[in-house]
Amino acid sequence: MQVTLDHVTHTYQAGSPFQSVAIKDVSMTVREGEFLALIGHTGSGKSTLAQHINGLLKPTEGRVLLDGKDIHEKGFNKKEVRQKVGLVFQYPEHQLFEETVAKDVAFGPKNLGLSDGEIKERVREALAKVGLDPAAMEGRSPFELSGGQMRRVAMAGVLAMRPQILVLDEPAAGLDPQSREDMLQLIFGLHSQGTTVVMISHSMDDVARFATRAVVMAEGAIAMEGTPEEIFSHAEALEKMGLDVPSVCKLGMRLRELHVPCPEEMFREDQAFETLLKLWKGEDAHGAQ
Amino acid sequence: MALSNITLGQYYPTDSAVHKMDPRVKILLLIALIVAIFLAQSLLAFLPVAAYLLLAIRLSRVPVRMMIKSLKPLRLIIILTFLLNVFFLQGETPLVDLGFAVIKKEALLTAVHYSLRLVLLVLGSSLLTLTTPPIALTDGLERLLSPLRVIRFPAHEMAMMMSIALRFIPTLLEEADKIMKAQTARGADFESGNLIARAKAMVPLLVPLFVSAFRRAGDLAMAMEARCYHGGEGRTRLRVLKCEKRDYIACAVTALLIAAVVLAGLL
Ligand SMILES: Nc1ncnc2c1ncn2[C@@H]1O[C@H](COP(=O)(O)OP(=O)(O)O)[C@@H](O)[C@H]1O
Ligand SMILES: [Mg+2]
Repeated sequence: MQVTLDHVTHTYQAGSPFQSVAIKDVSMTVREGEFLALIGHTGSGKSTLAQHINGLLKPTEGRVLLDGKDIHEKGFNKKEVRQKVGLVFQYPEHQLFEETVAKDVAFGPKNLGLSDGEIKERVREALAKVGLDPAAMEGRSPFELSGGQMRRVAMAGVLAMRPQILVLDEPAAGLDPQSREDMLQLIFGLHSQGTTVVMISHSMDDVARFATRAVVMAEGAIAMEGTPEEIFSHAEALEKMGLDVPSVCKLGMRLRELHVPCPEEMFREDQAFETLLKLWKGEDAHGAQ
Repeated sequence: MALSNITLGQYYPTDSAVHKMDPRVKILLLIALIVAIFLAQSLLAFLPVAAYLLLAIRLSRVPVRMMIKSLKPLRLIIILTFLLNVFFLQGETPLVDLGFAVIKKEALLTAVHYSLRLVLLVLGSSLLTLTTPPIALTDGLERLLSPLRVIRFPAHEMAMMMSIALRFIPTLLEEADKIMKAQTARGADFESGNLIARAKAMVPLLVPLFVSAFRRAGDLAMAMEARCYHGGEGRTRLRVLKCEKRDYIACAVTALLIAAVVLAGLL
């Protein structure tokens, strides 16, 4: 299953004196099975773009296609898109509302009109997926949990709909280092099990670690697109857009400035480890690549 | 989303002289205008009032369509006022015989008078809200009401509450929009179903909204105290309101208006 944005433009409050064009003429495809990272400066239109992928926002111009079919055409079942494409908003814990965790997670499946038995099963499954113990959590109030736990519950609420594509808007923002790492591993795990992932992120290290492809947004348009290797080889262009490169890239650049033989295509921690190990052992890192 | 269409108040930004006027003066002049409208006892006396308003609208560079839009919420009342007066007022000179009712000349004149008065009142107050940001408006009100402190009227607290409320309306709307979208993403339906179903559908929106409003209120109180806020006593202001030449000119023109209306009444 894939989603294609075809020349999508979105204008907020079109026609009022406060109108603003958030994205203009964006064309891209979310391919089945990929881990796509969306990066860009604040206000570059990432969240707006993400909300088009599951049809929450309607393009002012252009089309959004789910397996080739226009989702905003009359007669297209919106619930189908909502089920197939799960969207986890930024700070999703702010959307919790039920008395118990189980009821909150059940909200999505209920809206899909599933049977009680099916709902129960999905709630358990979703809670287990996000690393929470269903038996211990189900009866608790979501408001008495820690921040990290609340975010997991909110994420379980989306996973309970069993989406094939999962879109996450800065899922690690505002978490402590441990919860952050857990969250990223959780997302990576979901991707390994076959879920297509689209993740908005400000951390280039995370993008380098997990993404199979990255799209860089600048001022409402796609500025760059490619594998993380390709993207991070344009450090200067990224800097101009107010973006960063992974810390390992910076380390490589500084080492090369000192004429230490260090390969250009080094941008992940494990690659840096190997290179440094080889250098330490006295091998030429270039030759060994 | 439906919520993105709501704009706060109706401020229409341009950089006209009317926009730059001191909000205190604008509020006082609106009061003077209202007095003038009620002093006008004949249609002739409405002429200077209408001319005054037209001039002010021209100077403010607010599009006429925005002014007309401001009449929309009250159109029913204006039309009803006109119809009730036309049909139910007594008079001597019959004008038209509609069969079921006879329209009298006096009744027609009074009907026109009353509905015109309403139109002018609405246009005048809309001009104030269209050309003054809500925060400037509360600022002006606070200054105008501050002499009432002697009778323990909490002018500062009232204005502070109003400014904070105004400041947070867009934030809360944004928040509501976001929560609504998040629940829609989970398959919630806010738009169809009967009344009960719709009221029920509001729960997933309202609970998170209240939670966040309380959290924000707590944070704000903390942040204000951290910056030594302790009420209005001895507080200086960032934007010191100052009357300038244009304010004096506007006052003079308004004085002329009142004189013209009074004169028209004597004719
Ligand atoms: N609900 C909204 N109403 C009006 N303008 C908005 C709204 N949401 C976002 N924008 C504007 O659209 C632009 C893109 O915003 P967004 O998609 O949130 O960017 P990002 O997620 O990359 O920070 C910004 O200029 C922002 O001010
Ligand atoms: Mg964003």
